[in-house]
Amino acid sequence: MQKLLRFGETETDGGRDLLRAAELTGDPLLRRLYLVHAVDEHRHGALFRRRAADLECGGHAAAVIAAAWPPHSTGHGLDDLDVGRETDETMLAFLHVAEKSAASRFAVYRNVLRADPPTQRIFDDILHDEMFHMNYTLTQLVRVSPQRHRAKLWRARLSRLWNAYLRVASALAGVIGGAVLTLQYFLVLPPFALLSKRAAAREPEGWRPVDAVNIDLRRQY
Amino acid sequence: MKILGISAHYHDAAAALVVDGVPVCAVQEERLSRRKNDAAFPLSAIEWCLDSAGVAPESLDAVVFYERPMLKFDRILTTALRAFPRSWRMFPKAMKNTLGEKVWVRGIISSHLGVPAKKILFTEHHQSHAAAAFLTAPTRRAAILTADGVGEWATMTAGLGEREPGGTTSLTLLREIRFPHSLGMLYSTFTAYLGFKVNEDEYKVMGLAGYGQPTLVDAVRRVIRRTPDGAFALNLDYFDFHTTAARSYSRRFVELFGPPRNPFEPIDLETESGRRFADIAASVQRVLEDILVDVAGALQRETGARDLCLGGGVALNGVANARILAESGFERVFVPPAPGDAGCAIGAALYADRLHFRNADRDVPDHPFWGPPVSGADLARIAAEDGQQVVECAEEAIVDAAADDLMSGRIVGWMEGALEFGPRALGHRSILAAPHDAAMRDRINREIKYREQFRPFAPVVPIEAADRYFDLPRGGARLARFMSGVFPVRPQWREQLAAITHVDGTARVQTLERAMAPRLYALLEEYGRRSGVPVLLNTSFNLAGEPIVNRAVEGYSTFLRCGIDVLVADRTRVVKRGSLLTKRKEEVA
Repeated sequence: MQKLLRFGETETDGGRDLLRAAELTGDPLLRRLYLVHAVDEHRHGALFRRRAADLECGGHAAAVIAAAWPPHSTGHGLDDLDVGRETDETMLAFLHVAEKSAASRFAVYRNVLRADPPTQRIFDDILHDEMFHMNYTLTQLVRVSPQRHRAKLWRARLSRLWNAYLRVASALAGVIGGAVLTLQYFLVLPPFALLSKRAAAREPEGWRPVDAVNIDLRRQY
Repeated sequence: MKILGISAHYHDAAAALVVDGVPVCAVQEERLSRRKNDAAFPLSAIEWCLDSAGVAPESLDAVVFYERPMLKFDRILTTALRAFPRSWRMFPKAMKNTLGEKVWVRGIISSHLGVPAKKILFTEHHQSHAAAAFLTAPTRRAAILTADGVGEWATMTAGLGEREPGGTTSLTLLREIRFPHSLGMLYSTFTAYLGFKVNEDEYKVMGLAGYGQPTLVDAVRRVIRRTPDGAFALNLDYFDFHTTAARSYSRRFVELFGPPRNPFEPIDLETESGRRFADIAASVQRVLEDILVDVAGALQRETGARDLCLGGGVALNGVANARILAESGFERVFVPPAPGDAGCAIGAALYADRLHFRNADRDVPDHPFWGPPVSGADLARIAAEDGQQVVECAEEAIVDAAADDLMSGRIVGWMEGALEFGPRALGHRSILAAPHDAAMRDRINREIKYREQFRPFAPVVPIEAADRYFDLPRGGARLARFMSGVFPVRPQWREQLAAITHVDGTARVQTLERAMAPRLYALLEEYGRRSGVPVLLNTSFNLAGEPIVNRAVEGYSTFLRCGIDVLVADRTRVVKRGSLLTKRKEEVA
């Protein structure tokens, strides 16, 4: 279920970024295509959430949840792409590579989910859309950048690779940082915690006068 | 003097520019980045403010951040120490989160804007709330009450503001209640318990409360008790928000109120558990109101002020605001259009102007329209490219056409002028519809908002006609100016205003003066001439999970993706001609 929810979140975030791309592009055809693509991604997100809700609490809740509980952005969207800074060419190249990768991943899930036909049908449905997305992004990339579309595609692939490295590196750094801070928590903090708890016990409840020293706006504390 | 105010890093980041004592522009980052409740450093909002006012960063006299980062860090660290060893999971996350960016605000601002560090100032979080509430209100002397989840340490402050036209301003916070004792945290904890999103969905608890009975007030009062000095204290045995970021309520809380709602389960008010959740919502709402009324009443007796300025996220609770107005002894209650953290950007800048630089008092224009303007020409171009039916109208014709649309049961996306600052759509980025039939409410819920059935829609009415349809107490029309109060719909009109009447017979009404939004006012008049009732359903122009639209292109893309029939931006009118989205994909390509 968690996996389905994560897929749902990614699809919905991707939909948000595509919507943004549709609102930013000056090309009318691309605007329409991005919009259709964004609606597809939102629908995919709803399909994943509905299936997750089905698994969690039965079918009666699913339709309501899928509609009434759209997750808000967690910020990742299209691989942390800053849509506002992309050109039509780089956006299309990126989308093509991303859709291709998603399609191959979803195809694997579809194949291993033979024991779960309802979820398999969702992946089938989504894969159909992904094919369209892959096709239109490539066609449009060739249209807007007939000379350099291959270079753009390679650049998009390298960019995804770099982003993947950054994600792994920052996750690793997060784990190391967390471990060091946890160690400090247990080694350094205990005496301060004791003092702090004693001070808290002496604090009166209710209203307190406001500290007059804080009218100085140059201070950060 | 040019002062930039910034709020960021918690939720709903924003920037505001004050020039010679008056705000000239303000916008939330989410409206530009298109990420709902975007808390990131509001670079786009700052750029827009400076560009639109023609101000270069180096010519700013000061940049004011809305809270003191180191004091906030002090609270976070102290809270972790006090909860030792239960806070061991929270500690690394809190430290990484805070030390990663949030305490280095001075450097961030300086490096982004190229402003010398000495020009960067810091107000306290609740000073910013207080300033946003008092310095923007049309009053000379008022008591001030701010309440939210938490700022640095304070969660509620009480004070007094006085200003002389062209003279000096004083804004004194007399006392405060400190974290972890917090009305905002109490309400947020119940929000989480009821399966909604903390810091976003508190208004759903208020809507749900209308369906319940406050049968569990005694239980809620075990969780929050009054102190002898008239304040309150949370019984921390029932909470976990001070020990972990993972959950707000403890096992004892669940023992007291029963199993929490699974966010995946819809609330079915026909079932026992659905009614229990509604009763819990009604109970916490009642306790919140009782405390606020009591605290406000005591403040009124202490200061003798006739006006009250309310600030902080808790001031978004329109039901509580209406009770404060009716029962605390204040004649008028002012709530700014952005009482939450976004509004602190304006508050911080005004506080610095009046109290740090000691500039003369100036009246602040009494409207919420500080954001980017909409362009009808942009809409015309985009819609024409898509083969939509576009009509450019004269001023009167656009109002007539919209009134006709509304009379025929069409839903109108309405964009005009500058974007609202704050969470409410107050007539410049609104979805408008006829308010008479409950079927219209259901249609908007189903085709546009995709939201829970128990949530009501708000009406907008000309201020002169408001009293005819709504039971407004003295000062009620003022409180309703920015949709800050919930008032009863008069019984004889409830059937004719079914789409905006909540189950308990109330509505979060907006009273509109002609000068604030002349075109919407004219539309209400025209609609009143045709229908006999100059009231419209007014809901924010966005889809679920998205920020309110800003530019014409965002209104247009929203228009295409939902059940809005007609889109109006400035003098451009677009009638939906089949949905682009119902075409086969291959046709589009």
